[in-house]
Amino acid sequence: MKRCLGILGLSFLLVACGDDNASTNEESKGNVVATTGQIADAVKVISGDHLAVTTLMGPGVDPHLYKATQSDLTKLDNAEVIFYNGLHLEGQMQDIFNQMAEEKTVQAVAENLDKNKLLEDEEDATLHDPHVWFDIDLWKEVVDVIGDTLVEEYPNHKEEFEANEATYLAKLDELKEYTAGRIVEIPSNQRILVTAHDAFNYFGESHGFDVRGLQGLSTDSEYGVKDVQNMVDFLVENNIKAIFVESSVSDKAMKAVIEGAKEKGHDIVIGGELFSDAMGAEGTEEGTYLGMYKHNVDTIVDSLK
Amino acid sequence: MRALEALVVQNLSVAYDKKRVLENANLIVPKGHLAAIIGPNGAGKSTFLKAVLNQLPNKVGEVEILGKAFSPKSLVVGYVPQRNAVDWDFPTTAFDVVLMGRYGSRGLMKRPTKHDKQLAMQALTSVGMEDYADRSIGQLSGGQQQRVFLARALAQNAEVYFLDEPFAGVDAATEKTIIDILKNLKAQGKSIFVVHHDLQTVKEYFDYTILLNKTILAAGKTEEVFTAEKLQQTYGGNLFMMQAL
Amino acid sequence: MLSGNLLWVLMGTMLLGIAAGITGTFSFLQKQSLVGDAAAHAALPGIALAFLITGQKELPILMIGAALTSALSVYCIQWIVTYSKLKADAAIGLVLAVFFGIGIVLLTIVNRSPLGNQSGLNDFIFGKAATMTKADLTWLFISAAIIIIVSLLLYKEWKLMIFDPVYAKGIGLPIEALKACLTALIVMTIVTGIQAVGVILMSALLIIPAASAKLWTRRLSTMLIFSGITGGIAGLAGTFISSLRTGLSTGPIIVLFAATIFFISYLFSPKAGQLSKYIRKMKFRKQEKLS
Repeated sequence: MKRCLGILGLSFLLVACGDDNASTNEESKGNVVATTGQIADAVKVISGDHLAVTTLMGPGVDPHLYKATQSDLTKLDNAEVIFYNGLHLEGQMQDIFNQMAEEKTVQAVAENLDKNKLLEDEEDATLHDPHVWFDIDLWKEVVDVIGDTLVEEYPNHKEEFEANEATYLAKLDELKEYTAGRIVEIPSNQRILVTAHDAFNYFGESHGFDVRGLQGLSTDSEYGVKDVQNMVDFLVENNIKAIFVESSVSDKAMKAVIEGAKEKGHDIVIGGELFSDAMGAEGTEEGTYLGMYKHNVDTIVDSLK
Repeated sequence: MRALEALVVQNLSVAYDKKRVLENANLIVPKGHLAAIIGPNGAGKSTFLKAVLNQLPNKVGEVEILGKAFSPKSLVVGYVPQRNAVDWDFPTTAFDVVLMGRYGSRGLMKRPTKHDKQLAMQALTSVGMEDYADRSIGQLSGGQQQRVFLARALAQNAEVYFLDEPFAGVDAATEKTIIDILKNLKAQGKSIFVVHHDLQTVKEYFDYTILLNKTILAAGKTEEVFTAEKLQQTYGGNLFMMQAL
Repeated sequence: MLSGNLLWVLMGTMLLGIAAGITGTFSFLQKQSLVGDAAAHAALPGIALAFLITGQKELPILMIGAALTSALSVYCIQWIVTYSKLKADAAIGLVLAVFFGIGIVLLTIVNRSPLGNQSGLNDFIFGKAATMTKADLTWLFISAAIIIIVSLLLYKEWKLMIFDPVYAKGIGLPIEALKACLTALIVMTIVTGIQAVGVILMSALLIIPAASAKLWTRRLSTMLIFSGITGGIAGLAGTFISSLRTGLSTGPIIVLFAATIFFISYLFSPKAGQLSKYIRKMKFRKQEKLS
């Protein structure tokens, strides 16, 4: 049903669907387009100043529901390389990627990871949880994939790119240690992370957290009164102090859950806002992968300890 | 002190989209008559009625009913309009319809009283429809419906009545019933104005006749006004009912 | 068990059902149900604009935006019918499509802005009854109360206005003001209802209870009561059913339940139902045979 609306909305926007052939790039920089902020961040870090990197889905944008517009298609058209997450994160854009793959390099950075390392979708065993960026080890592999692709595409920058990548991987290791260090501040029976949708399973797996989301893996999934009730019961039974809203998802549901818990005599607060599918504003600390991750960790630990 | 006339119209003109529909109509009708308003199609009869009842804000000229301009609060006028705008599917009974005649006097938002309901029932009985009080209005025949609408106007307990083509689509028996009621009203001293379409029955039903075709061409006692010459003036062309005269 | 979230949603949808049943009856009798559909769809751009202009996602602000565009659409339809050659059905279709289309485009813009997704505006398309809280209940309660009170006050005027507009005008009823009042009430119903069932399904709640009630009675007063009750029951039952399993959206189930009530009325209503018509026909035939 929501797809029909997507098509309706899309058709309004693609009304004058002419072939918008941009003139040949007079820019000397290579042109790369990434879907999510996290991917774009990795691309920028590795490529330094040498490439023009465009992010399709900015801060606060939900990739599960995102529908490409005419201007997005133009950006993708002009790109030399396209990076996307894959595993159905960008649920509404698969056809466009397939189409683009015929003309240029299109890399689904999470698709080719070892499936045994990925978490499955509880409801459909053939699908996997796409939120791999919350498992730092998996993300290091993704960074590797990005690095390899960029080196292949732009071989004259090979040394610099590889050096940047190595530095970045080291920083990711630091982040992992930082995270482990902070998490021990939370008593082990309080290590339960409750958020708006199931974006944090990898976080939970890699850092020893129990994770619960109101909605499923995609914000597209339907939830009803029973889901809200189940969540309220879970919070009350496990005596959870704080739950978290996400920057790219409506917080009305979380607020309803809190009120429901209060009604049962259990006081609970919103511990803070986490970055789930999107990162913070560009130019800020939270606009980078490292900053975003650290923000999440700090917010979670400070609320639950 | 001069007795109030039933209807006084002075220099009444109405225009729609720059087209003059009524032009300089003048009329004085004394009380206690059962008057027919006749004229060809498109002569402006319905417009005239609307103008008299103050429904047309763009009219020019003066209208007085019993010495006052029409206003539902200051004056009680019984009104039986044409039936083509009515929603027959509407869930309402014959009694309900007649009760609607009391809405004007009650004012907005007040509920009808026992007295209102009594008057409604009396009115319904006077048109012989008391047995149909609980029937759905849509289930009644054309003639029965028209009697109910007449009852609605009667429930208003007015001094002056205006009826717009009350005999359209109505059977002979109902027509007789209605005209008897109207004659009864006249006998009580009320004034009745009827936009009428059947020239055959004018002499039999009405003691006063008003000839209208974009203006008032003649008005007065039927025997004086309802003549071949005046009708020719009003209708123009050939009149096939010359024999009726 | 019956406390907290489930109770709030039950109460909220019940109040909504009652309000929609009452105002829906008047709009149904005016033969303007599809105008209600257009008005409901037209609420969408208003919500998006309210968010884009003020940056606030608080419910009252969104509701004001919704009310403005919803009311505007009704007047657009009237304007088109009066001043162009288009008839009502074309005017309604046109206004519905244009307003709703603009709404979708605006939502796309909202969804690309940093605070857009968190605002939850998308939930107004299909409704999200599951997240109703006490505050929402308060609004619904006030709206329902206003609707019931105004309907009681203006009952006989609206009745006459819809049944015989010429006579109503003739005895001096302020028709334009009365119509505007009814439109305002319908817009109010729409604006409070779309939180629960969304813009797309709202018109169903305005139409189905009224249509069902008409099959049972020939008095307006009874029809209003039946319609309100049907709407209320649909709200209660729909919410209850949707609370039995996870992943069930409340709005569509409410509408389905209302449709079931209509279907049952259509078949089994003693006055106008198909079954009783059939029985009467058979009885008649039997009588014919015997004589």
